[in-house]
Amino acid sequence: MPSLRLTVLNSLFRGVAITLAALLIPACSPRQKLKREFPPLPKDVDIITKPPGRYGGIYINVDPGGGPNTFNYLVAEDATSMGAIGTVLEGLVRRNSLTEEIIPGLAKSWEVSPDNKTYTFHLREGVKWSDGAPFSADDVVFTFACIYDERFPNRHASDYSIDGKPFKVEKMDNLTVRFITPDIYAPFLEMVGGGPILPKHALQKFADNGTLMKAWNIGTHPREIVSTGMFRIASFKPGERLVYEPNPHYWRADNTGQRLPYLDLYITKFVRDQNASLAAFATGQSDSEGITPDNVEWVRRGEKAHNYTVHERGPSTVCNFLWFNQNPEKDKSGKPFVEPYKLKWFQDVRFRQAVSHGINREGIIKGVLFGRGTPLWGPETPANTKWFNPDLQKYPYSPEKARELLKLAGFRWNEAGELFDSAENRVSFTLNTNQENPIRQHMATVFKENMKDLGIEVKLQLLDFGTFVKKIGESYDYECGMLGLTGGGDPVGGMSVYLSSGRMHEWYPNQKKPATAWEARIDELMMKQLKTLNLAERKKYWFEVQRIMSEQLPFIYLITPNSYEGVKNRWENVEIPKSGGITWNLDEYYLK
Amino acid sequence: MKTYILRRLLLMIPMLLGVSLLVFVLVYISPGNYLDALKAQRDIPAEFIAKKERELGLDRPWYVQYVSWLGRTVRGDFGESWSYRIPVAELLAQRAPATLALSLTSLVFAWAIAVPLGVFAAVYRNSIFDKLSALSAYAALSIPEFFLALLAVIFASQWGVFPTGGLSSIDHDYLSPVGQLWDYVHHLILPTIVLGIGGAAGLMRVMRTNMLDVIQSEYVMTARAKGVPENVIMFRHVLRNAINPLVTSLGFAFSGLLSGAVLVENVMNYPGLGQLIFQAFMRKDRDVVMAAVIIGSSMLIIGNLIADILLAWVDPRIRYDK
Repeated sequence: MPSLRLTVLNSLFRGVAITLAALLIPACSPRQKLKREFPPLPKDVDIITKPPGRYGGIYINVDPGGGPNTFNYLVAEDATSMGAIGTVLEGLVRRNSLTEEIIPGLAKSWEVSPDNKTYTFHLREGVKWSDGAPFSADDVVFTFACIYDERFPNRHASDYSIDGKPFKVEKMDNLTVRFITPDIYAPFLEMVGGGPILPKHALQKFADNGTLMKAWNIGTHPREIVSTGMFRIASFKPGERLVYEPNPHYWRADNTGQRLPYLDLYITKFVRDQNASLAAFATGQSDSEGITPDNVEWVRRGEKAHNYTVHERGPSTVCNFLWFNQNPEKDKSGKPFVEPYKLKWFQDVRFRQAVSHGINREGIIKGVLFGRGTPLWGPETPANTKWFNPDLQKYPYSPEKARELLKLAGFRWNEAGELFDSAENRVSFTLNTNQENPIRQHMATVFKENMKDLGIEVKLQLLDFGTFVKKIGESYDYECGMLGLTGGGDPVGGMSVYLSSGRMHEWYPNQKKPATAWEARIDELMMKQLKTLNLAERKKYWFEVQRIMSEQLPFIYLITPNSYEGVKNRWENVEIPKSGGITWNLDEYYLK
Repeated sequence: MKTYILRRLLLMIPMLLGVSLLVFVLVYISPGNYLDALKAQRDIPAEFIAKKERELGLDRPWYVQYVSWLGRTVRGDFGESWSYRIPVAELLAQRAPATLALSLTSLVFAWAIAVPLGVFAAVYRNSIFDKLSALSAYAALSIPEFFLALLAVIFASQWGVFPTGGLSSIDHDYLSPVGQLWDYVHHLILPTIVLGIGGAAGLMRVMRTNMLDVIQSEYVMTARAKGVPENVIMFRHVLRNAINPLVTSLGFAFSGLLSGAVLVENVMNYPGLGQLIFQAFMRKDRDVVMAAVIIGSSMLIIGNLIADILLAWVDPRIRYDK
């Protein structure tokens, strides 16, 4: 017996000793210093106006999106992939997120012809791709040839067309490109000028043999993904991280001739959910993080310990709204999508206004967002400073006003305070929303309580995202929906929502011709704003659309959560815009 | 034996057909499809969605889709991932090594713990050690894997010695080869324990019972009576006979090599197959899901076969041919 005990104990001890030794082996081998290359600056280098910084530093960002699916601009459909592509591929123009101005990118200047249909871009001389190949007008022509190529169906082709007619893209000389649009196209500079330019020398062979859609996938060697942006890809590990290093041929520099970016490395680490990325930031493992209102309080507690600051950015661009199904058509079996007597309520603007008056938006903000939100009265949130119309019809919380409006519309209450219409139907409907978003669920609950005060019965039905999308976009068998859309940017992004023929004109999509006079007016205004380059005029049209939306209330706007961004204090030149990503000027970041 | 194996392999065909048909139909009737994410974006034109639907074949009835999928798969082509636009086989191959590494380390871990502890518990039956090990085994068996994984993540973030997830640190590319190897090991420790501990507990109990069975057999008594030293009895005679049933469990372990770590991988952010497959399920990236199911069920069937063969190999009393 004793010998056995010894043997077993011995082997146990040995195991423990090996484990301990393994734990203590020093893992610290010295980090290699980044070897920078210093090829000469291009002739048309972009000199920044800020005081010069110094080289060094690693910027770490944690992305809850799980990493890019592709590096191919024609394939990318999700924000994470588009973000990665935008980091390596520049457009002809860029946007200053702070001032919302269009500023020069790969093109140093441009002119618009008097008829507002021809754009001539003058490219920067001497700009090179990260592999040293020269950048030229051929790349621009190649990019648009690929986008319009029937063999490579992609989401951009129709963005870059007017009524199905593509833009004409011509090379004038090596550094001059001309675009001719078939009609005036207002968001041209932002939409087309800002789109990434693809490298002809690297992708031509894939375009020739028809495999362009398979090129630049997540298995492609990083060196083959050439860049005109501030960074090129150093390594990519699917599901783990994407490491960027400075592009040695980047075309921006400071006034002492130091080529940007100052950073040694930019690392994006992938996780699978928002909480994990937030936890990484709050424990000091990443440099910046967007923070939702419900998390601000506890994240702020770590400010001192981990040397970061939580900045308030004001209202976000997320627009939460609910709407009633006003689709008067019938399904294949001849059954109307909406009960006819209910459709009558939903189509009555007084009913919709009464509902809006009955919603306690301040209560939602206080109860669900801890006071960190802003009530909404129209399609744009105040974050979109350029396009936000502050002068809209507002519906402050007032059950009395709501009752008045309902009375006017012929509704009445019984002794129990329940609401009935003139044909003695109990006013009751089902609200659908998707179950993945907890904040929206809470809002739906508050809404239900608010409606109960008016005698309206609301039933909540939470659906999974796929089912919900199908209901509102295909089968139309629902009464009331609640959704949040990320808006912002140019009004052209809302064409599919506001045009009565639009796919996302949720209350009654895909109309053959506008069902109401005000929808016809919106159609007219949306087309008008698209066909002029005069910003003041575009604003006037879009402001009127917002005004009509706030009066007619096909969407009943609720609230927008405020947005917060945590950033480590060690970075200089952090400029947080009202909306959009904060790393838009990452090339200017340096360590304090 | 050969005909037996052949028969079992032939039986795989109807089995896989059934499984694939079932999963295909389930994916089809579950609400929504791959294009939902596109439909929810306001700036994607309807024509593009319609074009995409035709391109992916989603506009055709499900049986047509199934037949065309089957035709491709039979020829060894798992198709292309819709969201990554690369061949499914390539996508899976990219992630498989990480999962394989984790499965193997946890298997080794489970065995390395279970066998000695089981032996110990049997030798000192009814001692305080035996009771403690039984208690901890029941505890380990009754804690769900995902919960244990969550605990491990919290533990890692509080203590700071182990990484909170992933397969390598962010400065991995800039480490020396030894440093890189250590980095992998360092990241594997927690997931290995989480994934292995349940198996270890089960194996340990089996080991203990087997040992006790054999210890009570007559030939052990004979050996003792002859004065054979106790450790020779235990290691040369008892252990060898008691471990036989565990050998067959290796066959079952094979079936879980690629698909056994889905929960742990997702909770601990471990970039393996499980994470990829879970994401493909959520995204309804059909061909990835189908390939994962086919591989998973093939491995289960083959694993069972291996277990049966191993059983015949270690136990001469079992023969499959008449």
